[in-house]
This record gives sequence, structure tokens and C-alpha cells, in this order.
Amino acid sequence: MLKKFIIALALVATVAAQTKKPKPAPAAGDHKMNIAVAMNETIALKGGKLLTITHGVIENGVVVMQNGRITAIGGAGTAIPSNAKVIDVTGMTVYPGLIDSETHLGLTEISADRMTNDELEASDEIMPHMHVYDAFHAETALIPVTRINGVTNAIVAPGGGDTLPGQDSFIQLAGASATEMLTVRDIAMPLNFTGAQRRNQSFESAKYPFTRMGMATQLRQAFIDAQDYDQKLIAYDKKKSAGGDEKDKDAKDKDGKEKEKGPGTPPKRDLKLEALLPYLHGKKPVVLAVEQPNDLLTALDLANEFHLKVILNHVTHSASLLDKIAATGLPVIVGPIYEQPKDDERYDAVFSMPAQLAKRGVKIAFASYDAHNSRNLPYAAGYAVGFGLSPEEALKALTINPAQIWGVDKDLGSLEVGKMANIAVANGDPLDVKTDVKHVFIQGQEIPLVNRQTELRDQYWK
Amino acid sequence: MARRSYLYRVMLLTLFLALSNLAIAQPSNTQQTPAFHNDVVIKGGTILTVTHGKIENGSIYIHDGKIAAVGQTVNAPANATVIDATGKFVMPGIIDSHSHIALDDDVNEATSPITPHMMMRDAFDYNDKAIYRALAGGVTTSLLLHGSANMIGGQAVVIKHKYGLGKEEMIFPGAPQSIKFASGENPKRVYGSKGGLPSTRMGNFEVMRAAFIEAREYMHTWDEYDAKVKKGDKDATAPKKDLKLEALADILRGKLLVQIHCYRADEFLTEIALAHEFGYKIRAFHHALEAYKVADKIAAEGIAIATWPDWWGFKYEGWDGIPWNAAISLHNGVRVALKSDSEDVTRRLNQEAGKIMHYGLTEEEALKAITLNPAWIIGVDNRVGSIDVGKDADISIWNSYPLSSAALVDKVLIDGDVYFDRSLPRLGLTHYKEVQ
Repeated sequence: MLKKFIIALALVATVAAQTKKPKPAPAAGDHKMNIAVAMNETIALKGGKLLTITHGVIENGVVVMQNGRITAIGGAGTAIPSNAKVIDVTGMTVYPGLIDSETHLGLTEISADRMTNDELEASDEIMPHMHVYDAFHAETALIPVTRINGVTNAIVAPGGGDTLPGQDSFIQLAGASATEMLTVRDIAMPLNFTGAQRRNQSFESAKYPFTRMGMATQLRQAFIDAQDYDQKLIAYDKKKSAGGDEKDKDAKDKDGKEKEKGPGTPPKRDLKLEALLPYLHGKKPVVLAVEQPNDLLTALDLANEFHLKVILNHVTHSASLLDKIAATGLPVIVGPIYEQPKDDERYDAVFSMPAQLAKRGVKIAFASYDAHNSRNLPYAAGYAVGFGLSPEEALKALTINPAQIWGVDKDLGSLEVGKMANIAVANGDPLDVKTDVKHVFIQGQEIPLVNRQTELRDQYWK
Repeated sequence: MARRSYLYRVMLLTLFLALSNLAIAQPSNTQQTPAFHNDVVIKGGTILTVTHGKIENGSIYIHDGKIAAVGQTVNAPANATVIDATGKFVMPGIIDSHSHIALDDDVNEATSPITPHMMMRDAFDYNDKAIYRALAGGVTTSLLLHGSANMIGGQAVVIKHKYGLGKEEMIFPGAPQSIKFASGENPKRVYGSKGGLPSTRMGNFEVMRAAFIEAREYMHTWDEYDAKVKKGDKDATAPKKDLKLEALADILRGKLLVQIHCYRADEFLTEIALAHEFGYKIRAFHHALEAYKVADKIAAEGIAIATWPDWWGFKYEGWDGIPWNAAISLHNGVRVALKSDSEDVTRRLNQEAGKIMHYGLTEEEALKAITLNPAWIIGVDNRVGSIDVGKDADISIWNSYPLSSAALVDKVLIDGDVYFDRSLPRLGLTHYKEVQ
């Protein structure tokens, strides 16, 4: 089994390696997703309670899916095309497929087995030129386990051990191959500033950056280097467009011919610095991972210094800065809410962070920060409801909020005509642990509710 | 040099803090009066008794720390303290049969694969806030186990989460002694990575066998000595007391409940064979992710499992873990408990129990998996784990149906006394005086 994975992994890596050039950066908020239109059958869900997210709840509603998109939605009277396959979902809840705002899906199989892990290039701290799509293992056993609980899209992020570990991709949890599943490559770049990125095991094996000062300085230098690189590229382009036909009378080449007064040699291509440019230009967001108040302030200062576009991540122990976070107007990927509070915090200090942020008008999204158990994403939101978040806000934080934060809300995040038909159907509250997901559709195609684990179940449950 | 002086300063500081902490913390903890043992009535809630169904709008009368009556109505003295649970859910305190909290990272004496003489009680850190955080999640009893580095690890301590009281007051009185065994990847990794024995599963079981054979010889020399003394031989010399062999002998004498960390189907069978070979009983397999593959054989031995609902894939021996493990095992007659093995999950075992209903257990089975069944694994099921007359009044009160995503604990009682109350400010604790 493992061998099969390794072979598959190698194949994926080979294919990905051929895709040398990252796609041009779409403007944030307006991602064109790489989606092959599925020429599938027309499906109508009839009789369910539709949680549309953006325009209320429709009891006893109808949703029609055609060619991968939602083509009609409404009450019981909504016309169903005669060629549609009608699925009776009376008594069930119909909602948009959930979006997990941070996973390591496709980067790991067995956590303890290094050969099956591609989460983090730990050789250096500044690794923005690592692209998770180069490692993404489309055939991972983990994705079918995750999607049958209604998670249809996710951010795949590198591990958090480097300050700049690489760039995230946005995936769809079904597709013919990695190409179809990686719907937005290099969608954002994590910038981790939690202290966990320090290389301070011991004085004996000390390595820069040993402290937060080191982390911040190293980051600042990297962004300054990238700005310089950018200036060189701009200067070169300027020279180039200024014209190169004039002959340079003073210079001759070694054959005695007159040299062209062209723009000169282009700056040597530097993948690391090149990777930082879209972020320095504010074209793509940086996902700023911080936990403590002091780190939040330092990292925000750094981000402001370089005019980075920011999505906050974690803010786990920053309850004292809730108002300040709200004042920045930045969205927050919140959690894991199961993180332990500090000893001087109340037992529910972290559990109630989502509610506290939402109360102040902060746009929040949930993430599993996991791979094997990313399927449990809705339960974290459900737990946050226990600690004061409204159920409506909680569901938004799994659907439309992340869709907007990641710039894919034209296609995802709500049940609306024209949006992609990524839909889950369950026999109850989507956030409750007892609820069974009965149908999952991705791009209008019904996903069989089977995976490696259901196969083992069926083999042994006699 | 600089390093040494730094370390020296750290050590001094640590020592100073430890001493000053003692000086301040000790009196405030010991001056606490233990449970007040008043008459208490919990009224008006939906009672999930675990053993005899659900009582809507029921009452529980607590006398002297024990459940004295439970039913639709109870006879209680007029001066009893009333806890109004109208609209709330009342269930037994949750029991975690696999925990490593409050040990200050002293979980594994990873210096020898056989350390049955390590006593977790010696490392028990009763001031650890993790005890409070679990209490706030409804947990009243935990089994604090040695880790899984060793084939035979140390002896566990059973605690009640009376956070704020002293060390001795938190230890479950009269609970049987459990011992932790491990198998598979962890021992072979820990010792194999040092180039030692065991580094394979063959080595794992071999070191156990060798240990038990040595223990048998030890028992034999003591038996011979005892026989001589009995015959009146005044010259008989006593063999040397050896704590390690004594502890192993206690396993063979059936004095300890054997709790085995074990994942793989074949290893359950090897562990069972070894237990037969040396004549001891296994109480429970812990983690037990592949129990579903040999559930009938585990059931036939009367062995329970303490598992997670859905953890898998974190290592190779966890690759075949499936969330239906509990259901398949249970349907084959295995007693199933859900445990945490985590300072996070122990705070929300109710959610884990709700989740397992999604994977094939009934409400009653799921409830038992976090109450009565772990109590059985720990050997305290005659004392706790259900709302029955005569049992300790260890009770959790919830603001909504507890086996769900969003339920919160309102109050937790242990031995009839409230230890956590969500409506109280600050930490919600009733017996804890903060050290300034």
C-alpha cells in the first residue's frame, strides 16, 4: 500500500515539475479557478431545507445542478428539467460544500513516516519559492476520507516551521488529477511568526534565527532584497523599452563590431525573491500566523512596513487585542480553538475566540489545521457555537467567509444560481457531531461516499 | 562556559520558584476543607443515568457524598441545598481511562523497556491546570498512565478532579492499581534508535518474556524462603527485595490491572498468548485501532478497549484505524471506552461520544463509553460511572444535550460537592485559591 503511494507521489511530482511557470496572479477577490467543466447529468435535489447562506433558508426547496453549476434554486414550485435525475432529500439539510481554510491534505500520508511527508522544507526559513502544488499528492487516501463529511474545498498550506515556508494552493477535493484539483495555485503565502520558527534547540546547536529578533530581521532583509530585485527588474525593463537599436559608438565587442546599446544583461533570475514580488505588490495576501499579542504587533508592523495585504491566522492568545484586531478590518482564520489556553487564561478563552471576533464584526473563517481529521472541521465551528458564536455566523465561517477571504466567492461559498455545484446534504445540523452527511456533490457530480476506511468497515463488519 | 552559567542561573531560579511556590501554594491548598458532604438535591433536569435510561424532569438526592436516591421525585430533607437543573441535562461525571495530564512531562522513564516499579503517583502534579480544564469539560475521574516507551511501564495513579485540593485528596481512594504495557512501534523506536534491544517486535516480546521468567524465579526463591520459615527454619535468609521484580511478580499474582497500548490485530493476539503463557489477565487494550479485525477474540478474553473515535494515520500502525472500530468491536461483544490520551480531547469527551453515534453507536452505548466502561477499565465501576444509588455523587450538569458539538458544562460535582461552576467569575472554580 505504502509503496503504491510512493510511486503515485513520484508520478505526481514528475508531472508537477513539468509545470515550470506559476500561473499569472489573478487579482485578489477575483480568482479564475482552474476548472474543467464536467459534462455531467442534470441533478435536482428536492424537498430539503436549503441553507443558502447569502439569501436565507428555504424550506422544502429545490436545487438544480447542470454542467457543474447551480442552475436553479428556490421553493417547492421551482421548475425541474425533465431530464433531471431527481433526488428526494425531504427532511434533510442542504448547504454549500465546506471550505477548510488550512489543511496539509496531499502533503502527508503517515505522519510519523518521513518519506510520506512533504509539508515543510526546513533547510532554511525563507522559502517562499516552495509551491505546495509541486508536492500535492492527488491520490492521497486522506482526501476521500475528508470529503465524505461535506468538505469540498480547502487551502493546502506548507507546515508552519519556517517563517516563510512557501505558498498555499486552493484545492477542490475531487478531480481527475492534481491538475483539476489544484484550482488556484499560489493563492497566498503564509508568514509565520509564533516563535515556533526559531532555531533555538540549544546554545550548542544555535542557528540563526535563534530569537524573534532574528526572525524579524531575517524577514525584513528578505523583503528588502526582494524590493531591490524588483528595482533591478524595473530598471532593466525601462532600459529595454527605451529602445535598443542605437549603436553604441564607444563599445566594441571582442570581434571589433559595435555593440548594441541594449538594456544589458537581464538581472539573474532569483526564484526566492521573485516569489515574494506578488506579495510586495499587494496582489496576493500574506497569511500572518500569530498567537500571542506581542507577536501580533511585531508581525503587523512588519507587514505594514512592506505594505503587505494581510489575512490573520490563529490569534489564539490575543484576546487582549480583540478590539485592535477588529480595528484593522483584517479577516481572521481562527483556531485551532482546541489549543490549550495559557495558565492564567480561563478554560474557555480559546474556545470563545471565534465568538469574540465575530461580535466585533471581524470576518472569520475556520480551519482544521489538519489532514487526517480535516473531516472534523464542522465540529470545531459547532463547538464555537457552544461558546457564543451564532450558528449562522459559524456556517458562514465555513462557506461564504472563506470564499470571500480567498477570493473565490464568485464560484463558491453559497447556494446561488451560477455558482459551482459543490453541495452537501445531511440529516441534521451540519455542525453537530451526530449528523450524517448523506450526499456530497462536487462540480455537480455526486461523490460516492466510499473511501479506504469504509472499505475496511465493509470488509470486517459482518 | 556561558552556557553553564546560564543553566546554573536557570536552575537557581527554578529552585527558588519551586520553593517560593511551595511556601505560598502549600498552605492555601492544605487549608481547604474537603468535600462538605451536605445534603444536596439536583432538581428538574433530564437525567441520563447510563444504567437505567433517561429520566425527564428528574431529581437526585445526594447524602454524604453519595447518591442516595434518584427518580422522578426523591425524598430529601427540607434543608438540603437545591441545585436547579431545569432545562438542563444531568449525567455522571466523565471518566477518562487514558490520560497523561498532571505529570509535568514525566510520562516515560525511557531508560529501560521494563520499568514496572515506576509509580506515576510520584510524579503526579496536582497543581496542573490541565486537571481544571478537564474538570470544566465534565471529567471527574482520570487514569494517569505511564507512557508507551516501555514494554512494561509504570503503575498508574487514579485521580478525582478535585482541583484546588491537596495531592492526597485528589487521589481516588481505594482504586485498584493499574500497570501500563506497550507494544509495537514506540518501544522499538525508543530503544532501537539507541542501538539497543528491542528494535523489532520480536525484541519487544522477548524482553517481556525474559522479564516474566526472571520474576517467576524471584517468586520461587521467596516461596522457598517462606516455606522454610513456616517450617521453623531459623537460619533461613531472606532473598533480596527487588522493587522491579516485586512489581512484575504482582502482575503474575494478578494484583495489577494490565492496560496495554497496542494497535495492530496480530499484536493483540500475541499479547493474549503471552498473558496465557504467564497466567495474568489483560484488562484493556488501549488505542486498539485494529480491534475490529479480531474483535471476537478480544471479546472472548473479556478484554475491553479504550480507543479514540477517529484518530488514524499518524503512524504506520495507525494506518488501518477506522471510525467504525468502536461499533464493530462492540457488536462483537467487546466493552468499549472512548479515552483522550490528550490534554485537549479530555476536555471534550462528550463531543467524542456524540461523534461515535455518527459511527454506529446508540446513545446509551456512547454514554457508557465515556462513563461506566472506562470506570470498569480502571476498576472503579462499583463506585462511579452511572447515576445509581450508592455510587459516589460525581455528576456533570450540562446546558444542553451533552452528546453534541455545542453543549457546555454548567456545574461539576465530585463526592457531592461542586468543584466547577461556569457561572462563577474568573476560573469558575470553587475550591481554588489563586496564588498571587
